[in-house]
Amino acid sequence: MTGAGWLFLFAVIAAAGLLFTMVFFIIMFSDLECDYINPIDLCNKLNTFVLPEALFHAFLTLLFLLSGQWIALFINAPLVAFNLQKIQSNSHMYDATEIFRTLSQHKKESFIKLGFYLLCFFYYLYRMILALISESE
Amino acid sequence: MSGQQQLPPGWIAQWDQNHGRYLFIDTATNHSQWEPPVHGAPMNPDSRPQTVSPGPGHGPAPTQSKRRQYAADQTQAYYGGADMAPVGPPSYMDQPIHGGGGAGSGGLFTPGLTAEAGGQPPYYAPDTPSWQNGGQSPGPAYAQPPYVGGGGPHGQPQMGALADQFSQMGMSQHGAMGQKPFGLHTTNLIGVPIDPRELLRPPPEIRLPPGACLSQNPLANADPSYMRSTINAVPTTSSLLNKSKISFGLVLTPHRSIKDGDEPVPVVTDTVIARCRRCRAYINPYVQFIDGGNRWKCCLCSMSNEVPQLFDWDQQRNQPADRWSRLELNHSAVDFVAPTEYMVRPPQPPVYVFLLDISHAAVSSGMVATATRTILESLDRLPNADNRTKVAIIAFDVALHFFSIPPGGTEASMLVVSDLDDVFLPKPTDLLINLSETRAGLEALLTKMGDMFQESHTVGSAMGPALQAGFKLCASVGAKIIVLSASLPTLGAGALKNREDNKVLGTAKESALLQAASSFYKLSAIDCVRDHISVDMFLFSPSYTDVATLNHLPHYTAGGTYFYPAFNATRSEDAIKFAHEFGEVLASPIGLEAVIRVRPSRGMRMSQYHGNVFTRSTDLLALPAVPVDQSYAIEVQIEENLNTPFVVFQCALLHTTCDGERRIRVITLALPTTNNISELYSSVDQIALITLLANKAVERSMSHKMEDAREALTNKLTDILGTYKNTMTSAGSGASAALSICDNMKMFPLLCLGLLKHVGLRQSAQIPPDLRAYAQALLGTLPSQLLIPYIHPTFYSLHNMPPECGTIGEGGVILPPPQPLTSERLERHGLFLIEDGQTIFLWVGREAVPQLMVDVFDLPSYDQLRGGKMTLPILDNPFSERVNAIIAKVREMRRGPYRPCLYVVKEDGEPPLRLWALSSLIQDRADQLPSYTQYLTQLKDKVNGSSYS
Ligand SMILES: [Zn+2]
Repeated sequence: MTGAGWLFLFAVIAAAGLLFTMVFFIIMFSDLECDYINPIDLCNKLNTFVLPEALFHAFLTLLFLLSGQWIALFINAPLVAFNLQKIQSNSHMYDATEIFRTLSQHKKESFIKLGFYLLCFFYYLYRMILALISESE
Repeated sequence: MSGQQQLPPGWIAQWDQNHGRYLFIDTATNHSQWEPPVHGAPMNPDSRPQTVSPGPGHGPAPTQSKRRQYAADQTQAYYGGADMAPVGPPSYMDQPIHGGGGAGSGGLFTPGLTAEAGGQPPYYAPDTPSWQNGGQSPGPAYAQPPYVGGGGPHGQPQMGALADQFSQMGMSQHGAMGQKPFGLHTTNLIGVPIDPRELLRPPPEIRLPPGACLSQNPLANADPSYMRSTINAVPTTSSLLNKSKISFGLVLTPHRSIKDGDEPVPVVTDTVIARCRRCRAYINPYVQFIDGGNRWKCCLCSMSNEVPQLFDWDQQRNQPADRWSRLELNHSAVDFVAPTEYMVRPPQPPVYVFLLDISHAAVSSGMVATATRTILESLDRLPNADNRTKVAIIAFDVALHFFSIPPGGTEASMLVVSDLDDVFLPKPTDLLINLSETRAGLEALLTKMGDMFQESHTVGSAMGPALQAGFKLCASVGAKIIVLSASLPTLGAGALKNREDNKVLGTAKESALLQAASSFYKLSAIDCVRDHISVDMFLFSPSYTDVATLNHLPHYTAGGTYFYPAFNATRSEDAIKFAHEFGEVLASPIGLEAVIRVRPSRGMRMSQYHGNVFTRSTDLLALPAVPVDQSYAIEVQIEENLNTPFVVFQCALLHTTCDGERRIRVITLALPTTNNISELYSSVDQIALITLLANKAVERSMSHKMEDAREALTNKLTDILGTYKNTMTSAGSGASAALSICDNMKMFPLLCLGLLKHVGLRQSAQIPPDLRAYAQALLGTLPSQLLIPYIHPTFYSLHNMPPECGTIGEGGVILPPPQPLTSERLERHGLFLIEDGQTIFLWVGREAVPQLMVDVFDLPSYDQLRGGKMTLPILDNPFSERVNAIIAKVREMRRGPYRPCLYVVKEDGEPPLRLWALSSLIQDRADQLPSYTQYLTQLKDKVNGSSYS
């Protein structure tokens, strides 16, 4: 397998991981709405994932940059910028006191991210298969 | 009590504090579930679990034989009996309302102009007879508001007394026949003089369909001081609500104080608590007994539930009881004594932890001495009915000073901790002292403390570490922490910087100053809520102290913030104000470890909560302590079409009283539904609406920009006026020279203007951020009774007040008629009083006659008078006595701990004070802010310029 093959294999796994994180977020939010979890516990739980998720995604994007995968880089750059901006303005963490006011926003954001990771997942898969085919030829 | 039947054998129920509901556990299998377990027999409606052994009434056979039979037709007959016209709720303020004859004579009133004679005018006119008729009696004139009956479709409320009487008769007739639509009265706002007494009117009457209520008790529906809705006739669809542009919400003051003359909340002591087994609503006067009285139908979710047998059996006397006399079926507001299932732990004792700033600024301003003296004097007033109350004092400057007194000891030992990074308690015991056991030691300590730090010259405040120590001290119990600080926290966790920057004031960046500068206070608040700790802030600043950031702690822990800018105890006015308010807060019967849940009828949802609470779930508010007289605003969403003739909102406040009793205060509000937009408009409660909008504006100014908050408010008003014009007036979508609104909302535009001009929201580059933040904190917590004067001050003309004003009448001291808030009313020879519940201005005209100066101030002439904070002398002449009586009345007539300071303002005195007083006159133009007339013109242009459909 070539570099591109390995890279996209890693990207597929990474996207799957990010995908599951988002699913977890969404489940937690609906748990909050159904009163299965209190906002303090919810925020404590989710906040442990916020930075790792952003860092992991940024790392993946960095790999694309280093390996010159311009399309993949182009797809991921906006999300990196978005995460960066949120971290800079110190609004990346979930705030237990405000969570009910902002819940619909958070849910929307998580759903969009979910869709984004899903698309990425298939794109990486496609690229990986492409890489494998070109290799076997 | 038919306890053990209620759960299948082997099941127990455990109250879950975190979720505010029961966890049902099968002891055999250890299986747990949220839903009540169901077994073969139909569930007992009162699924409140019982593990106690049943009372004497348990034997079902005798109970049933003695049970009253409720045949369907009998029940029906009973409902028929409830056909009486619902009695309107009592007037919203417990102060006498002056002026007779209803609003009819209101339009004609032009006080202050009578004394406009030439030469040396008399400074008080003894004859203004128009105010004498029945002015003393509280409210009867307004009990018959002009929006019922009579009048033409666009009639201004100018019907005479005769017409009034007719409409009164008409109403009782209609009432007997059934529900009658609201009469809508359209008023033109432009060019119509304002009568401030409009604000004292009760909200539009709640007209429930006949038979909705089981009881004929006038208290069967919620008193507006406990719970009021912005709309007293709920639209059946959300599209109708959206069309009207009215914000739908509830204003809630569940823990309202009981003042003299108030009906206390009745207490149900037999722990028979009937609740709906589906929605968990409490039984109330709006349920329906069905199935021969054996079952009741929930008015919130239509679930059929079984009536507890003890409703018909008196456990104490062992004889049949009359269920119709049960308190919860006759009163909207009731307290239930909660049985042990409502506790996760034994009821918490009241715990007070004082964090006292002893830095140089605090000591030199006299705050420390005044505070310790007030605590000492309040020891007897602290709630301590069962001798469980505990007290701790931690003093802080650059280090933490703990005071330890052994039980029964008389000497306190001071322990100093100067490690601020890792706060620890120097001693495991004796820091939190039992008040009764160690009273002598505590008294000795408090007596000494005023002088103990007299020589302190330390600068710096470790408030954050002190808070951490306080949290550690009472994390296992829960407590009320009271912080008294005179300086900006500068050391350890939660240290703040002086971020006051005059350049950003009045700009878009200003709202950053209203947001928290440090996350410490918000994060601590979250821990506090978990540990049942509520924090009060008393702030005394000679300079910037960042009220905005510090207020976050009280905001999320259901506490309160009190601010005394430039406090100096050598000025007796300052010392008295603080001592009074602090004393009131200490003496108030707070509720502990509380949760509030508001349940609406099916089809509606609580969407947003405003006020000093922590939202713990979509419908659950957590309050470590419930302060007295704090208000919460809740927005309501209509999710499904409502197809019942009336809907019910029920607020349940589960709390521990200071006496160590677990109680549930239930307040039920029933409102009719309507599918008619004109009925919707005519039922709008403008007072509740502005309370809700004030809360929203404050939040918006913090999360967005100040400008956005103001714009949103004006846009809301424009939308309402525009829609009203299009749907309710003949002008339709065309241009109109009039600006119309229904009669019951005619003060609303002025209230909006008052809010726009309020210190908390005003467009200005002059308002210090601390004052701004404090004003916003008040706007977000004051109950309507205090909020309305805060945004629309009361203005009295004293020199020409009618002779009975200031004397004792039926409802206490008689107040003069309030004047419209415009400086046109200020006369050069006059004496005026402007008050907003937080400050009182005594305005003295520059041509005040010497006699007036002698009578009121004991000074020979106007020139001798000095403006500023002062205490008015009580002199031996009738006029002085009357003025003093009015000031005293103004200070005590409202709820809440506040004691306004009196400022004497000379017409040609120092400009800042003069401008401050004049800024209360909100109908005037000020700087760039429009006058009321200009504002109306702007609104009219906007309404005419845009199309509303
Ligand atoms: Zn129900």
